[in-house]
Amino acid sequence: MNGSRRLSLIILAAVLVVFVVSWILHTTGFQGDGAGTWLSVRDGFLVTLAAFLTLAIFSFLYKDNPYYKFAEHLFVGVSAAYWMCVGFWSTFVGNFIPRVSHTLSDFFQVPYKGFNVFYFVPLILGIMLLLRLSSKVGWISRWALAFIVGTTAGLNLIRYLRTDFITQVSNTFVPLLVDWKGIGPFFSDLSLSASGQFMLTLSNWVIFIGVFSGLIYFFFSKEHKGLFGTASRVGIWVLMITFGASFGYTVMGRVSLLVGRLTFLFQDWLGLIN
Amino acid sequence: MKHKLLIGCCLLLLPLLAPAWAQEAPVADTTTDSTAAMQAPAPVTDLTARDKENDHGHGIVLEWTPSVDDDGGLNNVFGYVIQRAESPDGPFEERGRVPIGAGGYDDIGSKERESDGFMPDYVDYYYLVRTLTVDEAVYTDSDIIGPVQSYGQWFNTGRIPVLFFVIGFMILTMYFITKARGGAKLFVRRLAGIEAVDEAIGRATEMGKPILYVLGLGTASDIATIASFTILGRVAKKVAEYQTGLIVPCYDPIVMTVAQETVRTSYMDAGRPDSYSDDMVYFVTQSQFAYVAAVNGTMLRELPATNIYMGKFFAESLILAETGALAGSIQISGTDEIAQIPFFVVACDYTLIGEELYAASAYLGREPVLLGSLKAQDYAKAAVIILAVIGFITINFDWGGFKQLFQVLD
Amino acid sequence: MNNLGLIISALVIGLGLLWLLIRSLKGKEVERRVIFLFIGLSVSVPLLFNITFSEKATPIVRAVFDKIESLPPGSKVLISFDYGPSMAPEVEPMSDIILRHCMIKNHRVYLMGLWATGQSLSASAVDKIIKAEFPDKINGLDYVNIGYKAGNQGVLNVIITDFRKMYATDVDGVDLDSLPIFDGIKSLKDMNLLVSVGGGFPGIKEWVLFAADPGHIPLAGGCAAVSAPLLYPYYPRQILGLLGGIKGAAEYESALMKKYPELTDMPIPGIRMMGPQTLAHMVIMAFIVIGNLSFFFAGRKKQP
Repeated sequence: MNGSRRLSLIILAAVLVVFVVSWILHTTGFQGDGAGTWLSVRDGFLVTLAAFLTLAIFSFLYKDNPYYKFAEHLFVGVSAAYWMCVGFWSTFVGNFIPRVSHTLSDFFQVPYKGFNVFYFVPLILGIMLLLRLSSKVGWISRWALAFIVGTTAGLNLIRYLRTDFITQVSNTFVPLLVDWKGIGPFFSDLSLSASGQFMLTLSNWVIFIGVFSGLIYFFFSKEHKGLFGTASRVGIWVLMITFGASFGYTVMGRVSLLVGRLTFLFQDWLGLIN
Repeated sequence: MKHKLLIGCCLLLLPLLAPAWAQEAPVADTTTDSTAAMQAPAPVTDLTARDKENDHGHGIVLEWTPSVDDDGGLNNVFGYVIQRAESPDGPFEERGRVPIGAGGYDDIGSKERESDGFMPDYVDYYYLVRTLTVDEAVYTDSDIIGPVQSYGQWFNTGRIPVLFFVIGFMILTMYFITKARGGAKLFVRRLAGIEAVDEAIGRATEMGKPILYVLGLGTASDIATIASFTILGRVAKKVAEYQTGLIVPCYDPIVMTVAQETVRTSYMDAGRPDSYSDDMVYFVTQSQFAYVAAVNGTMLRELPATNIYMGKFFAESLILAETGALAGSIQISGTDEIAQIPFFVVACDYTLIGEELYAASAYLGREPVLLGSLKAQDYAKAAVIILAVIGFITINFDWGGFKQLFQVLD
Repeated sequence: MNNLGLIISALVIGLGLLWLLIRSLKGKEVERRVIFLFIGLSVSVPLLFNITFSEKATPIVRAVFDKIESLPPGSKVLISFDYGPSMAPEVEPMSDIILRHCMIKNHRVYLMGLWATGQSLSASAVDKIIKAEFPDKINGLDYVNIGYKAGNQGVLNVIITDFRKMYATDVDGVDLDSLPIFDGIKSLKDMNLLVSVGGGFPGIKEWVLFAADPGHIPLAGGCAAVSAPLLYPYYPRQILGLLGGIKGAAEYESALMKKYPELTDMPIPGIRMMGPQTLAHMVIMAFIVIGNLSFFFAGRKKQP
């Protein structure tokens, strides 16, 4: 047996020992009426398994290894099965069955809402989409796709135009000088809370310049030269500052997830923190 | 002395006369019924009723001038009750109550026949408004008005701004598409990312390494993916001409079939149909991170000279770009997912930001529909800039009417 | 705050960063696993030593707090759980604290979700917050969980006019019409406040587009940090306030504790997570500075 294989076996043995010890400790560690019962055995196993899978994924930070591959494949398989079940129970049983069959509604124990023939339309469209898999009649799926694209576009046109365009355009009509009350009150509140006149005025100027220059940057019908080019450069600066802030926000989000996982390990698994 | 005696006797007699005087002044008898003393308030005036506009067609708006005894006069108004009947002779049923000071009420019913609150349209209704006091037995009714009917409008006037912009944008789009189809040259400024694609393909050819093209995690109906197909066609044509390798791993099966068609067509256009193989464009998996793991593996094994990421990306964007950077590839990316653009900007050599991806597909494909749409969007942006400037001026000079034009009411 | 922990963190991480700086300036490559170790330490040490910092609610978070605080008791607040377990560490503190605040104020709470995973998370919130901390609250009278329905923004399109076209029962199968909490409730327009907690699709943007804006219903949001920049354009006219990431949750928790000092024992996951967040961010900022310094020094060395 060569060295690397021996090392792999040692690591595997160690992992199994830690897993079993953790399971036993968690099972026996449960207080109250649940201690030593099936519930505590199950919960002990689940906590240990969750900790094992967490550490298996983290092990990728060192290098790719079978434990990471196992955890990833398990996740892919379970999530595929989960979403298939959710799709069946929520869409098919939750939305379709109650509108077409009293018997099936009773079988699946969902309240019958009355027969509605229109609910066969999405069923037919779904079948048409699946015909994509056939090379002979795959062209039929284009009709279903066209229906989906057209309906979505029509449904969203008014909503997006209203909320994301017209309302946003009117939201940029902001005063460039907010409530002038004299030089003292103007500089009264310089905190980042931005409730004072100076900060509000400054933020309005930022909105004005940012919107103006950002729109110019995305103007494709004119070469970005001269004054137009300068405004475009201001626009790209505004965009990059925004992306930097967005990047920072995302880093915070990712660190939060790491903190969440470590909290689980330290608190629920190892019991090091309350 | 006699005068003093007389005055003193009068003063002594005064208390005996007091009850008589007391009886002359009216005194409220607290033991009697108080309602008898409460006066009915004046009724509301100028009561009008009309159909509620821009609703589902089952609503009537009532307006009136509050009673003069509401916050004035007798000041004994407690509220108003709105009553409705289908005949001027009744019977009237209560439809709602409003507090003092109110000058209107919207009588809204349901449009569902099975619903308890169903209010049929095109039916004559008669209304009266009852002015209440604290004692519900003391009230005054207004004159009965009617008949008034509720009905739906064909056109929601509250959404005129939306109609205006839709029609305006449609006219612009149709105009520019027609112009493009007529052969007019529509200028689109050069985009650094697209200029770099040719250079990157040349680099890959020199190095003898393939090009990896990732279409993203969108479906075939996503605009970013559709734009990516156009760019893929252009890249595939160049690749076919230079006889460089091309790898296109796909996330979505439908996207894969469209991509295969696109690449096959490009190879045929380049005069090299035999060089095309279906293995170039293949389906991986529809699981996000499993797909990324597979593409990362391809990057580290095949070591492509150029990675092109064009389409819809999510949390996997940085993983892809970082692995590509590790593999030493030149990377060009483009996405309309704003949350992912920062990651592409830091990890890739060139990034097409948002709408630049759509502009790139128009720039490369030169299709009249794409070009016309792009020009229409540009003119719409110019209109927005002009409107924004006008808006700033009007707001700063307190001309609030201009902003009202953008209010969309439902 | 645990001063000992702070000192240990500062020493360990500070010395490590110094070593990193010296190594980088010498032009030596830094193994990526060292970076991972730094991040791991900067997150673990504050967790183990319970390092926390005080928080102050910013106006965008304050707006949500003030709205819920100002609504009269018995107001109808709908909370939508639009997230999954992958976002839960970041977003769950928000849903928990908002739910707790609503219970304190005796609002009537309607729980639902546009995500399938939202239903189990809302049920978990009911167990963890309402049943555990407010046992006097009655299901069907003070709160109700109507769960998840498939359809994404299509669900909102329907319930903006009629709840019962989409939801016939609550999650326990009880008819909505038999629940006192649904007396007089026809649609979303009968709600006094909508709160969407989530960070993906469908999420707060869809609530703005399909419910709050067309229905003119006040909407507050709690979102994952990655989505927050995309939602700022809607503030304050289309959404009245936004809790962005775990920082938003921490600010809300501090605002609630300041308003109700008797809540000293309440769980504060948001505030607790800000300790590791702060240290991790400082370490990342140090990395950026070190990286740029070594880049510029290397550039200057190459110049003749």
